[in-house]
Amino acid sequence: MSDYQYILSTEHLYKSFGSLEVLKDINLSVKKGEVICIIGPSGAGKSTYLRSLNQLEKITSGKIFIKDELFLHREHNRTIHRVEPEAQKAMLLEMGMVFQRFNLFPHKTVLENVMLAQVLVRKKSKEAAEKLAKEIIERVGLSDKLDVYPSKLSGGQQQRVAIARALAMEPEIMLFDEPTSALDPELVGEVLSVMKGACETGVSPCSASPTRWALRARLPTA
Amino acid sequence: MRIFKRLVDIKNWQRSTKTVAIIIMAILALVVVLSVINVSEQDMLNHASDSVNQIIEKEKTSSRKSLTITYNNLGVVSYISFTTSGASAVKESYVGFAGSIYGADEGTGKFVGQMVNYTYRMLGSGENLLHGVKLTLLLTTLSMLIGALMSVFLALGKISENKLISKISSAYIFFFRGTPLLIQMFVIYFSVPGIFGFSWRSLFAAADPEAVYKGAFIAALIAFSLNSAAYCAEIVRAAIQSIDKGQNEASKALGMSYGQMMRTVIIPQSIRRMIPPLCNEFVMMIKDVSLVFAISLMDITTISKTIMTSEGNYLVFIPALLIYLVITAIFTFIFGKIEKRLSIYE
Repeated sequence: MSDYQYILSTEHLYKSFGSLEVLKDINLSVKKGEVICIIGPSGAGKSTYLRSLNQLEKITSGKIFIKDELFLHREHNRTIHRVEPEAQKAMLLEMGMVFQRFNLFPHKTVLENVMLAQVLVRKKSKEAAEKLAKEIIERVGLSDKLDVYPSKLSGGQQQRVAIARALAMEPEIMLFDEPTSALDPELVGEVLSVMKGACETGVSPCSASPTRWALRARLPTA
Repeated sequence: MRIFKRLVDIKNWQRSTKTVAIIIMAILALVVVLSVINVSEQDMLNHASDSVNQIIEKEKTSSRKSLTITYNNLGVVSYISFTTSGASAVKESYVGFAGSIYGADEGTGKFVGQMVNYTYRMLGSGENLLHGVKLTLLLTTLSMLIGALMSVFLALGKISENKLISKISSAYIFFFRGTPLLIQMFVIYFSVPGIFGFSWRSLFAAADPEAVYKGAFIAALIAFSLNSAAYCAEIVRAAIQSIDKGQNEASKALGMSYGQMMRTVIIPQSIRRMIPPLCNEFVMMIKDVSLVFAISLMDITTISKTIMTSEGNYLVFIPALLIYLVITAIFTFIFGKIEKRLSIYE
């Protein structure tokens, strides 16, 4: 991978839902290792912005760069330029997302949740996926819940599993969409410390230096 | 699969199931006892009056037989009748129950005897697989299996982003839900062979006496499968679309393809939601199968109607109703248990 200045940047990003313009001319550049917080009132467009990055929403206009490479360019709801599907898949894999409502797979155990995408998408062997899954699950403090189903966990525990699941894909960019807004105040702390740990230590067991930065969107807590 | 293991785990069955199981065992025990102490066929034969026995002796040597002996054994109760045709018509019948033989030529005995005889015929006993209750259950089960399998593809097709596949699936569902099952069956049984110049019967050996029934069975199977596929497709589609969209988003965020997401995340979760309405569809289909009377398949309905026209006994439909009721009750009970077991999941 060639050297790049910004791991992620957007230029003149607009997003409208019909006639409602939510994002107006968003310009943001993020360097590797940076942690960005987006704060604002409800309905301001924080979630929309994050979701536009990993293509859960299609932007109306603007450019998205990943590692200085033009990922997507749209004007007035028409795609001007988009990278090849193969490259697009690879670039999207660099982004992991943690959702407000966790979105864990309820029919799979904690271990299976964290292993599933590794095997299917990263094409790892079951042993390798299990090994990494167990390491990350231990790092979020849930080693004793490997074979438990999500419905038996508390909100804080579920969100930690969701973080582990996203980190298991070893992305270079992590998107946290209001990760603690569905949690009781007592549980927020445990999730935040896990997030901090993920940012600081880097999850990839081979490297010692941090290799990721995180983009967080949450309401300012009083 | 995990689902099936959970179904068979007897230790976890609730107390109510155990109670019902005990009651059923008690009934079965009673049935077995009554069947064992019931009169044998030989005893029933010997009980015939002297005049009938004379005819039996005479006919042992003659080549022309005018005496018909019908013996129906329903385990708990049995029925025998001696009938001759011709100038001196003789008719004697008896009912055997709990070790005694009762006359069945008039009054209560006659009623019981007829009911036993009709039930026996409607159960399809003494005939091959394509008769009576056996036919009903066979046709329902096969049609549901094939239809349910097809419906998964139809449902996925209807929600597909490919406009062509989506339109074709919608058109299929619209057609088979918008036309009567009876007419669909007629089209497949009469029109299709006529247009393409073959007959259902000709698919089987010319010498086979059951060829007509086998041919009609194939036609009915096709019609019912195509029809149930359409209704089940809507059930499957609703189950798939009822899965929280967050599951789709999480799968996409993890980089899964559409196929992987469907296979490992969405469809396994939607199966639990499909089971109740699919079971309901099965129970409904048991009754829909009665339509095969129109293409001369010997279903419960056909047999009872035949008895009505040939013997003029309008009471024959009472055992018919009871048989359907018992079948439906059994399946409703089984499916209810399956639903309960699957809800332990979440």
